[in-house]
Amino acid sequence: MTRLSPAAARWLIVAVVLALWELLPRLGLVAELFLPSLSSTVAVTVADWPEYAQNLLVTLYEVVLAMVFACGGGILAGSVIGGLALLRNLLLPVFSSLYAVPIVILYPIFTAWFGIGSESKIVFAATYGFFPVTLATAAGIRTIDPQLLIVARSMNASLSQQITRVIVPASIPTVLAGLRLGGALTIVGVVVSEMLTSAAGIGYLVTRYRTVLDSAHVFAAVIMILLLTVVFDALVRFIERRTAVWQSAGRISRASLREVVAQPAPALG
Amino acid sequence: MQHLAHVMPLDGHAAAAAIEVTDLDHVYANHDAEVAALADISFLVEAGRFVVIVGPSGCGKSTLLMILAGLRHATGGTVRCDGEPIARPDPHRVGVVFQEASLFPWLTALDNIEFPLVLRHVPREDRRRRALTMLELVGLAGFGEKYPHELSGGMKQRVSIARGLVQDPPVLLMDEPFAALDEQTRMTMGHELLRIWDETRKTILFVTHSLTEAVYLADEVLVMSARPGRIVDRIDITLARPRSYEMMATETFGRLRDRIWRQIRAAP
Amino acid sequence: MTGRQIVLARLGLLALVLAAWEALPRLEIVNPRLFPPLGEVLRVLAEILARADVQAGVAVTAGEVAVAFGLAVPLGALIGVAVAENDYLGRVFKPLFFFVFSVPKSIFLPMFILVFGIGFSQKVAFGIFSALFIVIMSATAAVESVRAEHVLVARSCGATRWQILTRVYMPSMLPILLETLRISMIFTLTGVILAEMYASRTGVGSLIGNWGENFMMRQLFAGVLLLALIAILINESVRLLEARCSTWRT
Repeated sequence: MTRLSPAAARWLIVAVVLALWELLPRLGLVAELFLPSLSSTVAVTVADWPEYAQNLLVTLYEVVLAMVFACGGGILAGSVIGGLALLRNLLLPVFSSLYAVPIVILYPIFTAWFGIGSESKIVFAATYGFFPVTLATAAGIRTIDPQLLIVARSMNASLSQQITRVIVPASIPTVLAGLRLGGALTIVGVVVSEMLTSAAGIGYLVTRYRTVLDSAHVFAAVIMILLLTVVFDALVRFIERRTAVWQSAGRISRASLREVVAQPAPALG
Repeated sequence: MQHLAHVMPLDGHAAAAAIEVTDLDHVYANHDAEVAALADISFLVEAGRFVVIVGPSGCGKSTLLMILAGLRHATGGTVRCDGEPIARPDPHRVGVVFQEASLFPWLTALDNIEFPLVLRHVPREDRRRRALTMLELVGLAGFGEKYPHELSGGMKQRVSIARGLVQDPPVLLMDEPFAALDEQTRMTMGHELLRIWDETRKTILFVTHSLTEAVYLADEVLVMSARPGRIVDRIDITLARPRSYEMMATETFGRLRDRIWRQIRAAP
Repeated sequence: MTGRQIVLARLGLLALVLAAWEALPRLEIVNPRLFPPLGEVLRVLAEILARADVQAGVAVTAGEVAVAFGLAVPLGALIGVAVAENDYLGRVFKPLFFFVFSVPKSIFLPMFILVFGIGFSQKVAFGIFSALFIVIMSATAAVESVRAEHVLVARSCGATRWQILTRVYMPSMLPILLETLRISMIFTLTGVILAEMYASRTGVGSLIGNWGENFMMRQLFAGVLLLALIAILINESVRLLEARCSTWRT
């Protein structure tokens, strides 16, 4: 028996999953409550698109703002901490210990402080993304080859030249990786907090429809969130590939399993 | 030419050759193509001799060693040790030392040396005694409780040699054991190896692609061609023993080395 | 800075943070009703720990985490090892697992509630789901971390397959396995707590959610502090164990 190529096997699996998704509920083998059929999910999306779009925009707004703080702050903090041995030895182990704590438990505190509007989501998601991005950036900073700076200085490069022509290009992979991580985390942070307590946003829709047991709408919303994370991830990877081609960008895009496991992956993700 | 038997001892006793390779072929499949790694290899190694196999990269010398160690089955021909065919790895008959010391990092040096004995369920005291003896033999007395990451490259290889010898096999196979060491350590280790060989009188089959090492260490050198590997020459090393560093500057040394080099370059 | 100095510096930092936590609300630099001072929080913590309903909540959470962990780890390990050992399965499934792993799993929680309701089984199921993929990936990585040279050496020493498994694979994989246990515990705990906060009437997560909704800030802070301390304790204990077993790793 000739075997399918791995890629073909994967497509087959995907196709089978999609087929089951449509058939199992339709044939009554699984209750529509548990698994709304693919077609009904799509139909609902199309029918209620304006509502979805509106809430999606709220979510996007919150994500963008949270990202500015989580990624911006995290990359900055990570660069400083990673760059200074003193801070690094002092703080990094503390941060990575804190990583064991489920950050979601802070959310009720934020809602008590900031209400159930966008502010609490932004603060929570920003906090959620901040520490992993800091850790990842601090680690990434150390992979920049110090020899490069020595070489530049030996060629009498001025400080601004050193920064723009060596440090910045060398940091791009780390920064982009931090962006990708922070973005994924803030999306999750925003959506989860919207699911918990909110009056708007795609996460809110999920909860609202869930409480009335409207599975099709719930699934539609969840799929949308899924697409959001996938698209964002693909976008950043695309940029990574374009800008860091000269580096061993293989390290970023084809991270070995071991590296993935070792990184501070989003615990909620 | 290829078939090169060694001269029988004068008193007429047919002592079984320590290693006997007859008509060895090896072919392996590689992405739907067949690759002939070894072809028509035949040679004998008498007990107690130090034989070096030298050849260009990719000529199959490591494959040959794997087959001799019982780690791989040849597709054609036979290999025997002391008359018995070699069908599987057996550290009682054939000890192996690899290029990368490949010591288990979670075991101390002594534990590493004991490893083959542990596999055989040898009692603890006997194991320990044997391992300590080996440790002394390779000149590392006192380093038994160190972990591999605390040892230098040369020291790790010594432990590896001790492990290969711990079950007192008559034959020791060595696959470029000093290739990963820097030149100075290589020279020291070569000298050490000759001392150990002198004390234990094992049969050693040593693979290398260093011509200097080959001439310095060997009683005889078997030269292999590029893939598919064949034995294209057998050279008796006529230098006196014990060998010394000064010999490397002699004309004889140079001539022998040149001969090997010419054979390697000329081989198709 | 020497090791001792670093430890002292960290303790100093901690003391500073704790002092600020106590001082800032008491001095009314921050609103003490929204940010209770440390002393108050500790006092309330002692109170709630004595309460039966809180103890029950902790027990429930502990039970859910234990069951989820106990199921996710063997299942994930089995799948992970299978994927690592079988080349074809590996090539088919690894990219799929990679993809699923990079997708945030918390967004699927509502689906679990639709299927399982809001009881014990839902939280356990979601806990398993949260941790399963990291266990799979780690188990695969652990098996792949066993160096081929070591296996070759063991074979050359005449080891049987069982001996290779126990004397080469196991010691080689141990550090990664411990790390896997630690990380999957974190993922399981996070998944269970989230599920409890989202839609549950039992467990520590639901208690914390309740206190938040009712603006019982001191209890809320106490609960958060308690959970944080437990999580850090578990994490650091396993880390210590990892370090002990990995002295030989470079």
